[in-house]
Amino acid sequence: MGRSDEELVGACQAGEASAFDLLVGRWEDRIRGAAYRFLGSEDEARDVAQEAFLKAYRGLSGFKQEARFSSWLYQIATNLCRDRLRRRKTRPQVSLEALEETGPVIVEMRPGAHERLLERDLAEAVRRAIHSLPEEQREVVILKEYQELTFLEIAQALDVPISTVKTRLYRGLVQLRLRLETEGVRGSAALPVPAR
Amino acid sequence: MECEKVADEALQGDKLDVLYGEADSAARSRVGAHLELCGACREELQALRGLRRDLGRWRLPLARPSFTPRGFVVPHWLAAAALVLLAMGATLGVSGYLSLRRALASQEARASLLEQRQRESLGAIEASLTRTPGSATAAQALVARFEAGLDERLKFSEQQQAERLDRHFASWQERAEVRRRVDMAQVAASLSYLDGRHGEQLARTNELMGYVLQASEKR
Repeated sequence: MGRSDEELVGACQAGEASAFDLLVGRWEDRIRGAAYRFLGSEDEARDVAQEAFLKAYRGLSGFKQEARFSSWLYQIATNLCRDRLRRRKTRPQVSLEALEETGPVIVEMRPGAHERLLERDLAEAVRRAIHSLPEEQREVVILKEYQELTFLEIAQALDVPISTVKTRLYRGLVQLRLRLETEGVRGSAALPVPAR
Repeated sequence: MECEKVADEALQGDKLDVLYGEADSAARSRVGAHLELCGACREELQALRGLRRDLGRWRLPLARPSFTPRGFVVPHWLAAAALVLLAMGATLGVSGYLSLRRALASQEARASLLEQRQRESLGAIEASLTRTPGSATAAQALVARFEAGLDERLKFSEQQQAERLDRHFASWQERAEVRRRVDMAQVAASLSYLDGRHGEQLARTNELMGYVLQASEKR
């Protein structure tokens, strides 16, 4: 059985540099996946994952293990994504991937092509709906739905109380449902809008 | 239709715990009891489960390997600059390699020529040595003769020294005997002087002197 994150972090702090490779191998895909969902760009997600691991490696000596290593890593990655999103607001840019996703699609109508097209449209509708959420709700929805973190881990990663995490998640889910309904996605029944 | 406890944050939190499978038994009981009475919340939970299925449609693109362990973030401009430098380096490297090859070939030829000359010199020295085969034997004979003469001279010197020592020893014995006779004569004269003064003492003295003389002769 492999060593736990805490054991690997301890080994790193004791000078066993190769232990960090194991942590990278264990968390790289998930960090990059979260960054991709935050930013919508594969290249940027890869850069964020690299930066996150680099920051983690440099800050590992000061990491006290009061929170989980994964929570700490998500916190670093989330902050990096926030920085990039802020820079985007000051310097608007359009990624090639976004153009590809929103541009006209020519599909050869082979057997199953229609279903794949519908599937792609649905996925794109979900992506747009999530990216239409306020940043705080989007972060929580992504970390919960796609990264499958516990409420406690999300609270540690975002440095907020668990109750705040749940409130943001609930409101985000409600907003998503409304948005998807307007997009014509009918996977679930209508949700009531919660009182604020 | 709206839940009467929509403002109950604890209940809303419990519902999320149930939705995501994080509820403990107490929370499950509380939510279960509420759902039996609240149709709005039953519909809501069902809708949220459907929403979660829809959200699952958004999948990641196929992942490409990204992170270089313990590496560093390389900006795109830096990567492009590195490629340009690599190309320039490759060009310079090829020309440099060819130049180096030529220099090495020239140096190798010079080294080969020098080695050939050294081999020839060595051969000449060996040939000159093989032309005088008796020289070593003659030297050995000369050394043998010198050693024999030295031995003879050493033996002669030792013999002379031995003879000289014998002569010195014989002369020393002769002088010692003469000296002993002189001393005994003086003792006898002294005894004669004391002869009439102490008859018994003289006899005693003569006896003692006899012992002394015997002892002296023995020595």
